[in-house]
Amino acid sequence: MRKVFFAALLLALGLLFIGQAQVPKLVVYTYDSFASWGPAKFIKEEFEKRHKVDVEFVATADSRAMLSKLIQEREAGKQGADVFIGVEAADLSKVKRYDLFIPLTKEDVPELANIPQGLLIDSQNSAIPYEHGYITLVYDSQALAVEDVPRTFEELLRPKYKKMLILEDPRTSSPGLSFLLWTIHRFGDPQYLDYWEKLLPNILTISGSWGEAYDLFQGGEAPVVLSFSTDTAYSMIEKGSARYKVMLLDNQGYRNIYLMGIVRGTEQEKLAKEFLNFILSPKVQEKIPTTEWMFPANPEALLPVEFYQYAVVPPQPVMLSPEEVGKNLDRWLRDWSRVVLGG
Amino acid sequence: MALAFYYPLLRLFQEGVVEEGKFTLKYLGEVFAEPYFRHVILFTAEQALLSTLLAILIGLPWAYIFTRYDFPMKDTLRSLTIVPFVLPAITVAVGFILFFGNNGYLNRMLMEVFHLQGPPLRLLYSLKGIVLAHAFYNAPIITRMVGAQWERLDLAYEESAQALGAGRARRFFGVTLPLLLPSLMTGAALAFIFCFLSFPIVLALGGARFSTIEVEIYTQFIVLYHQRLGAALAIVEVLLSLLFTYGYILLEGHFTRELEAVRPRPTAPLLRQPTPGRIIVWLFIAFSSLLFLGPLISVLYDSFTREWAGQTIFTLHWYSYIFKPQYEALIGAPPLRAVLNSLQFGLAAMGLAGLIGLPIAFVIARYRFRGRRAFDTLVMAPLGVSSVALGAALLTAFLRPPLQLREGWLAIVLAHAILAYPFVIRAIVPVLEGLERGPVEAARGLGASRLGAFRDIELPLIRRGLLVGAVFAFAISLGEMSATIMLARPEWKTMPLVINDLRAARSFGGASAMSSLLILVTGGAFVVIERFGKRLFGGGR
Repeated sequence: MRKVFFAALLLALGLLFIGQAQVPKLVVYTYDSFASWGPAKFIKEEFEKRHKVDVEFVATADSRAMLSKLIQEREAGKQGADVFIGVEAADLSKVKRYDLFIPLTKEDVPELANIPQGLLIDSQNSAIPYEHGYITLVYDSQALAVEDVPRTFEELLRPKYKKMLILEDPRTSSPGLSFLLWTIHRFGDPQYLDYWEKLLPNILTISGSWGEAYDLFQGGEAPVVLSFSTDTAYSMIEKGSARYKVMLLDNQGYRNIYLMGIVRGTEQEKLAKEFLNFILSPKVQEKIPTTEWMFPANPEALLPVEFYQYAVVPPQPVMLSPEEVGKNLDRWLRDWSRVVLGG
Repeated sequence: MALAFYYPLLRLFQEGVVEEGKFTLKYLGEVFAEPYFRHVILFTAEQALLSTLLAILIGLPWAYIFTRYDFPMKDTLRSLTIVPFVLPAITVAVGFILFFGNNGYLNRMLMEVFHLQGPPLRLLYSLKGIVLAHAFYNAPIITRMVGAQWERLDLAYEESAQALGAGRARRFFGVTLPLLLPSLMTGAALAFIFCFLSFPIVLALGGARFSTIEVEIYTQFIVLYHQRLGAALAIVEVLLSLLFTYGYILLEGHFTRELEAVRPRPTAPLLRQPTPGRIIVWLFIAFSSLLFLGPLISVLYDSFTREWAGQTIFTLHWYSYIFKPQYEALIGAPPLRAVLNSLQFGLAAMGLAGLIGLPIAFVIARYRFRGRRAFDTLVMAPLGVSSVALGAALLTAFLRPPLQLREGWLAIVLAHAILAYPFVIRAIVPVLEGLERGPVEAARGLGASRLGAFRDIELPLIRRGLLVGAVFAFAISLGEMSATIMLARPEWKTMPLVINDLRAARSFGGASAMSSLLILVTGGAFVVIERFGKRLFGGGR
């Protein structure tokens, strides 16, 4: 009797495992906010309805840390992920250097045909865009009157803005990096360092992440923060008021494009291609504005009303080429930290 | 243990001195040669020193208050003094900003009362803010350590001084303080080490302009992926902190004395008619409470309020928000689960730390051998190692053969236990060293086995030390973030990680709600452990 019972148990377990093995797994590495509050849940549910697959999101940290994790795993010969979502344009050279993703064509990902050429910054399309946005300064219209808002980089240096700026650390924050690159674009290398030296008295603090910076800003610690050009729309949707306004400097904003790719060595290449295609479909792209607070890569996607009314597209967006960034980033960050170190 | 800790760490250090198979001092040299790094090292020492001084200024009077006075809920309060020490930096930072910030509750109140235009107290985003937060964290250490000795101080010394005509001030500075000096120095040394290694607080309240060695390690290692430079920095940091730890151990040797039969010190009730002395004490309590309670209550208050269309309203919105199904479905760790994870890891880490720490403490306390102090220092090394480096080391060590563990709960428990067991040792060794060998030897003479003698005689006597160590270990596990964040899979997220997630996702009220939960769980756990522990090992002293 015992033997029969155990045999049945083993059989049942065996069947269970076989059952599990039948459903393929797609492991997606992404950054924490994409998984927790971003469109990840929607994507997972909808994709699993259409395909027999178990989508697993791994999102333990911010995008740069996740990229480091992927690189480390690849160097150790381990295959942890099938798909990676969240490479920022500035890190594209890392993707190329470590040969992380496989090149894609319009046959692989049909929706690519709809993506504007300006966003396809990887000529091989191994890293393709899923969203983009503009980094700008944002101010609290209740604390700073419209006439007092600086309109150029030089005006920002004025003593009356002493300790009014909250910025982010370019080493740990994507918007922070964008701003640094923006100043390099505007003033050149190494003149941008002079600008930063003069800007220092007006900076309240340089936070480690956008989240911390925005927390301080919303708490009223300072009236200006480095953030996204969609912030007024965010303010409208989440708080019911257009209190936070976008500040353009020299009519510019820094453009940031976020990319995704299929990790080389994956066993789920076909599924992964369908997955990326799904993310670029209008159905998913329409979720991007209210979860990521960015613009979708696919122009076919409709935006929420508040975005049409309040989200700002700078007249003259700027962006450094990924190659230039890849070549010089280490040195730039090093020089920047030396200028900025106080204490 | 040696395998779990030293192996990954040595691999890490290897990166700092070996390049392409050859031993090189290039990176270490860079650390010392570059003015930038020298500046960072000096600043680290400077802020640690100032923080320690402030911690003493606040912690010492509190020790006096606990020793000299009686007041309602004294025991509970004593248990809770440790809570600030173990709160994750993210919660403390938020609390400080909410309370002490330019637009914080304190400044807003002052501006209203005194009709001021701008905030009068600009404390944060500078060295002042860092020092203040460090004092918040470390004053309790001073209070506990000095208080423990103060209570056992034989009154005879002070009484004879009094009989000889010395006034109160003279008695304090001439007799009491020198007697307290050992525990004071020990507590100060410990506080200094913690401030030296502090990382998230420095970042949160100082920002990128204030960099300590630990921050640099994080930047070089995790952010810039400069493994070798990061490893070199970690080496320098460990060497420096080993130096400080060695100093601390030397001091501790002076601290321990044989437990004397001591008359309990008389205590006076605190809440009685005001005398000049009492009034000063009350004022001090009021002001220092601002430091301790202000930030914590601010976090609690923040979790219950919300802004909508310019108005502030009371609401349970944030709490229902963090318990929403859509959050739990995806991450795999609903907030309640995160609480459970934290508690489970805490208990496991506490157990493991105890298992590792107890035998080592015995070896150190009972056996006299050459290089004992050095052994003690080495064993204390985790205290001085950056948790960032440890997390990174564990990650790399367990990613490659031969120790290929999957990142999982075991690695987390290991990391927590490693970070915590030095506390267990430090809590038990002084007590063990103070115990007389008499009873044990008598028991053995009567036929008891070594284990039996341990169980029946020594264990009950060291229960206090064991309890303190266990409490510390549990607490450290609860609040740990830097190492855990690198090792945790979604389903094993702990409370601090969830708080971090919430902030990254613009849910600041949710983060406050979770932080409040963490504060309550931590405080509650402490009270429970201390009460339960007292009953388990026999009541009272």
